[in-house]
Amino acid sequence: MDDKSIANMAVLAGEIMLRSGAETYRVEDTIKHILDTACTACGDASATGRSDNADAVRTESLVMLTGIIVTIERPGQEAVTVMRRVHDRGTNMHRIVEVNEISRKYCAGELPAEETWKKLKSIKGRQYTVWMYNAATVLVPAGFAPLFGGGLREVLAAAAVGILLAIIMTIGKRLRISSFILNMICAGGVAVAAMLLKAWNPILNMDTVIISGIMPLVPGVAITNAIRDTLRGDYISGGARVLEAFVTAAAVAIGAGVGIAAVNVFWQGGGLL
Amino acid sequence: MTELFLVTAGCFIAVMGFAVLVETPKKYILQAGIAGAGGGWVYFFSIQRGIDVVTASFLSALVISLLAHTFARIFKAPVTVFLIAGILPTVPGAGMYRTVYYIITDNRAQSSYYLMQTLEIAGVIALAIFIVDSLFRIRFRKYRKGTGESAGERQR
Repeated sequence: MDDKSIANMAVLAGEIMLRSGAETYRVEDTIKHILDTACTACGDASATGRSDNADAVRTESLVMLTGIIVTIERPGQEAVTVMRRVHDRGTNMHRIVEVNEISRKYCAGELPAEETWKKLKSIKGRQYTVWMYNAATVLVPAGFAPLFGGGLREVLAAAAVGILLAIIMTIGKRLRISSFILNMICAGGVAVAAMLLKAWNPILNMDTVIISGIMPLVPGVAITNAIRDTLRGDYISGGARVLEAFVTAAAVAIGAGVGIAAVNVFWQGGGLL
Repeated sequence: MTELFLVTAGCFIAVMGFAVLVETPKKYILQAGIAGAGGGWVYFFSIQRGIDVVTASFLSALVISLLAHTFARIFKAPVTVFLIAGILPTVPGAGMYRTVYYIITDNRAQSSYYLMQTLEIAGVIALAIFIVDSLFRIRFRKYRKGTGESAGERQR
C-alpha cells in the first residue's frame, strides 16, 4: 500500500473510534501504531534497525474531539496529509473493541493491510435488537432505585418511568431531535411521570423515582472521558468533554426542573387534575 | 443486610442495562456488571457505616476503576469498556437532581450545598480514576522495559 492509502486507513480507524466515544489519547495511539507499522514495513527495504526507519519516516497524528489530522513525511518526498472532520459522536463500545482488536492484529503482523482496510470498513454499528435496547432502558432506573433508598414500590415505579423513557427515546431518535433537547424532554417526562405516580399513590418516594429515572441520561460517559483525557495532558479534548458533561447535566437538570415546575403550576391551579 | 444485597443486585442489573445502552460487546457485559455491583456495594456499605457521601463516592470509584483495570488486563480489552458502564452508580445524579429541585422550591442554601456536593463528587471520581490509572501505568512501563518495544503492546 502506498502512503496515501495507509494514511486513509489510519484515519478511518481513528474516525470510527472517535465517533464511538473513545478517549482522544487512545485514538491517537491507535493511529500512530498503524502508521508506524505500515511505514516501517513498506519503507526502505535496506533499513536495518528501527532507529534508521524512525529517522527516515516521520509520522504524526493529531486528534481532537472534532477532527483528525494525520501526516506521513518521508525525506525527499512531499508529505502526505489527511484530515477528517468528525461531526457526530455517540457511545459504542462494540466498535472501539473491534477497531482495537483489528489494529492490534495488524500491528502484530497477523493481518495484511488490504484485509485490515476491508475489516475496518465492515464494522457494524449495532449488535442488539431494539427490544433489548428498550428493555435495558427500563432496567437501568429499576435497578438503581434501591441504591437511592427505594423499596419494592419505588422499583416498580422506576420501571414504569423507564418504560416512558424508552418510548420517548425511541420516538426522539426516530425524529432526529438534537441530543440536548431530547435529554431535556426525557428528564421532563421522567419528572412529570414520577409526580403523577406520587399523586396516585402518596406514600411513594418521588425523589428516588426521579433520580433513578434520570440515571440513564446523566453524563457519566462524558465525565469519565473528560477525566481520562485531561489527566493524559490532552487539555483541549479534556476541556471540550468537561463542557460536554456540563451541557448534558444542564439539559437533564433543566428538563427535570421544568417538569416539576409545570406539574406544580397545573396542580395548584387545578388545570390538569 | 437484605438492603445491601438488594442494592448490589440492583446495581448489577442496572449497570448491565447501561452496558447494553452503550453497545458493550456481549462477552464483556457480565464483567461490567460486576464492576458496577462492586462499586454499588462499597458505596452503600460506606453510607450504612455513616461515612460521608463524598468519601463513599471516592471509595466506590476507586474500587470500580480497580476492577475495570483488572478486567481490562485479564480480557485484553480497553479499560473504557468496563469503566464507563461501571462508574455509573457513583455519578452524582442525585446531587444534580437535588440542586435543581431546591432551585425550583426557592431554597438557595440547600441548592448551593448540593451543587458543591455534586462538584465534589465529580472531583473525587476524577481523583480515584487518576490514582488507579497512574498505578497501572507504572506497572506497564516496567513491563515494557523488560520485554522491549514490540508493536503489539500499547496502553489500554
